[in-house]
Amino acid sequence: MTEISSKWTNYFAFDKQVSITPLIIYRIIFGVLMLFGVSRFLFKGWVQQLYIDPQFYFGYLGFEWVKPLPGNWMYLPFILMLLAAIGITIGYLYRYSAFVFFLCFTYVELLDKSNYLNHYYFVSLMSFLMVLVPANAKFSVDALRNPSIRRDTTSQWHIGILKFQLAVVYIFAGIAKLNSDWLFHAEPLRTWLQAHHTIPFFGQFLQMKETAYLFSWFGCLYDLFIVFFLLTAKTRKFAYLFVVGFHLITWYLFPIGVFPWVMIFSTLIFFSNEFHEKVLTFLKRMLCITQQENVPGGKSSGQTNPLVLIFLVIYMAAQITLPFRYTLYPGDLFWNEEGFRFSWRVMLMHKEGYATFYVKDKATGRTAQIDNTHYLTQTQIDQMSTQPDMILQYARFLKTKYDGRTFSFGEKEITITDPSVHAEVYVSLNGRPSQLFIDRKHDLTTLPYNLSHRNWIEPFTP
Amino acid sequence: MRYLTIVAFVTLAFVSCKKEEDDSSSAAFDKGAMLTNLADNTILPALADYQEKVAELKSAFDTFETDASSANFDLLREKWQAAYLAYQTVKMYDFGPFRNYGYKGATGTFPTDTAVVESNISSGTYNLASAGNTVAIGFSALDYLLYNPDAFTRLNEVGYKTYTKDVIYKLSDETTAVVSAWSSYRSTFVSSTGTETTSSFSELVNEFNRDYELAKTAKLGIPIGIQSFGIQLPEYIEAPYSGISLDLLRTNIASIHRLYNGKSHAGSSNGSGFDDYLVHLEKSALNTTINNTFDQIITKIDTFQGTLEEEMQSNPSELEALYNLIQSQVVNLKTDMTSSFGVLITYQDNDGD
Repeated sequence: MTEISSKWTNYFAFDKQVSITPLIIYRIIFGVLMLFGVSRFLFKGWVQQLYIDPQFYFGYLGFEWVKPLPGNWMYLPFILMLLAAIGITIGYLYRYSAFVFFLCFTYVELLDKSNYLNHYYFVSLMSFLMVLVPANAKFSVDALRNPSIRRDTTSQWHIGILKFQLAVVYIFAGIAKLNSDWLFHAEPLRTWLQAHHTIPFFGQFLQMKETAYLFSWFGCLYDLFIVFFLLTAKTRKFAYLFVVGFHLITWYLFPIGVFPWVMIFSTLIFFSNEFHEKVLTFLKRMLCITQQENVPGGKSSGQTNPLVLIFLVIYMAAQITLPFRYTLYPGDLFWNEEGFRFSWRVMLMHKEGYATFYVKDKATGRTAQIDNTHYLTQTQIDQMSTQPDMILQYARFLKTKYDGRTFSFGEKEITITDPSVHAEVYVSLNGRPSQLFIDRKHDLTTLPYNLSHRNWIEPFTP
Repeated sequence: MRYLTIVAFVTLAFVSCKKEEDDSSSAAFDKGAMLTNLADNTILPALADYQEKVAELKSAFDTFETDASSANFDLLREKWQAAYLAYQTVKMYDFGPFRNYGYKGATGTFPTDTAVVESNISSGTYNLASAGNTVAIGFSALDYLLYNPDAFTRLNEVGYKTYTKDVIYKLSDETTAVVSAWSSYRSTFVSSTGTETTSSFSELVNEFNRDYELAKTAKLGIPIGIQSFGIQLPEYIEAPYSGISLDLLRTNIASIHRLYNGKSHAGSSNGSGFDDYLVHLEKSALNTTINNTFDQIITKIDTFQGTLEEEMQSNPSELEALYNLIQSQVVNLKTDMTSSFGVLITYQDNDGD
């Protein structure tokens, strides 16, 4: 017992000196992954599709002032991210690179919540944490140019905070799976897996509900416990096989982009110093670096500014509390989505909606049904149709589009003054028949857009 | 830590044992077999039938060209109607060859812009393949060319006749190209059963939904004023000169219904379709709702005796009722059915939230 408890207190000895090599390797991994991720994004033409084409952007509450740059200028943050990712990888102007990367990435993510993905949020957080740690103190261009920054050891929290963040992702993804749809109905996996029934040989199993249950339970246990197995030296290698297997399966079956690769490589941070030393030696040999860095690298000063430590504690507390903020709201979390984002609810539900909007001229009672494709992209429509806050934002946008405008139809003209905006929305959650989500009776433009409970969402019938 | 390992493995073992016990769960369904049925019994026969009707339209024009009798003029109109109606049975397959040739836009765009048609005729020089001429070609342009009050007389004018001929020949050439491309595309179509957006199954489901919504909005909603604060827009009616708009709507929806059930194009044999997939997924109630709603829509369309333009004058509230009925089906198809299939509707990365 004492051994265990001393081990645990060890984790909180922030400035305990440990080998810096795992941090260095992580810097390289992170840089390369980001370089790959951003290149892929550019290559797929998503900058144009997601940040230049749309007429309207679903900003985040409190961050609506974050606007896209005009036209092709939107490529600028992506180019900067590419350069910054290179800077991170080779450790050149490292802190600036990490900061520019964090800033550009987060800026882009804040533009439109239609594009929210948990792994983008993860990248934002990780790149922010990378700004705080001296990941250029060894095997970097910076250290080459300025040997005085070279260190062989570093404060434990520099690596620990990254492990913490990874642990939060996994464990909360696991906790989120502890719900009856996931565990007792194997949804949404049952719907998703059966769609793959045409895969040779394995397909027949994916159509069986038992397989969906197996995947659901295994996925949940994996998420909940994998970090503990990775932390333990004895089980680490075995656990890592599970990491690779698990993420490869998700990569094969679901369109989750670079996320599987990010996790497969990021979890290497849990490996021992010896492992990371070997990787470093290998990298040096690859790059034909004969020059030994064995010149005493010096130890880290070992004293972190107390303000930074206080900040870290607040950061960690926030990370642990935020996913539980949904408990402050009544009603069903998956249905109302109040406190849903930023909580590592990954691949957790299958929600599809159909939203029909109506603009009504109050004076005459004349109503027009809106063709959503006139104003939104397909991605935006799909996301908006199931998320109440976005439904409200879109309704407000429609009001600005129609208020005071005169429309002429052939000979006839009609001027719209102070219109009300209504929506009839149906949503299907995790394979259930669709239910009324938003009733047409509400004038959405009169409803408040804030963090308080939205009592205008129709109640959910499980 | 060891505890957790044990818990994990016991649970795994438990679940996997359970799996071996009752292997006889729901009967298997095969998307590949469904696509094969749809291709061989629904799509390809419909395309062959359509191609034949277009060929008949072309030869009816040739006949009229050699002998501009009023009987031959009537025959030409009759063949145009038959081809236009047959087009309603294939227009929802807007992927693969259709998309590669931009066929749907070139064939079915309406309303036609008669000013562009007339300026093309009077100038005598035009490139029908240009984007600006999309509104001056296809079935809708022919509706004007063959049914405007002066059509019969004007078909003796060289420019008018040549233009009509060019539109029909273009339609015929492209139809031949698209239909023959389908015979080699068939094998791609039946084997592409994945869940990615580019798989033919996803494209079929997406275009099925898109065409249904297009029928709802373009063929009915816009003309009757759904998007224009109740102000009717007769200038947006499809085929206003011939007055067959409601027939086109009916055939369009009936064909979508046929595709849904995997029924053969010609006969009534009912093969594997979306309906069977839904039943396999334990969604029989949804399947019943969808089939009933389709039947109600067709019954409702059949209650209208006049043309769409006439009904808009005399019976606007019933047209709105028809629109609402068609609208009520969208959620069944687009939300309930499509989400049950686990078809992806986005090209973006997705982590399912």
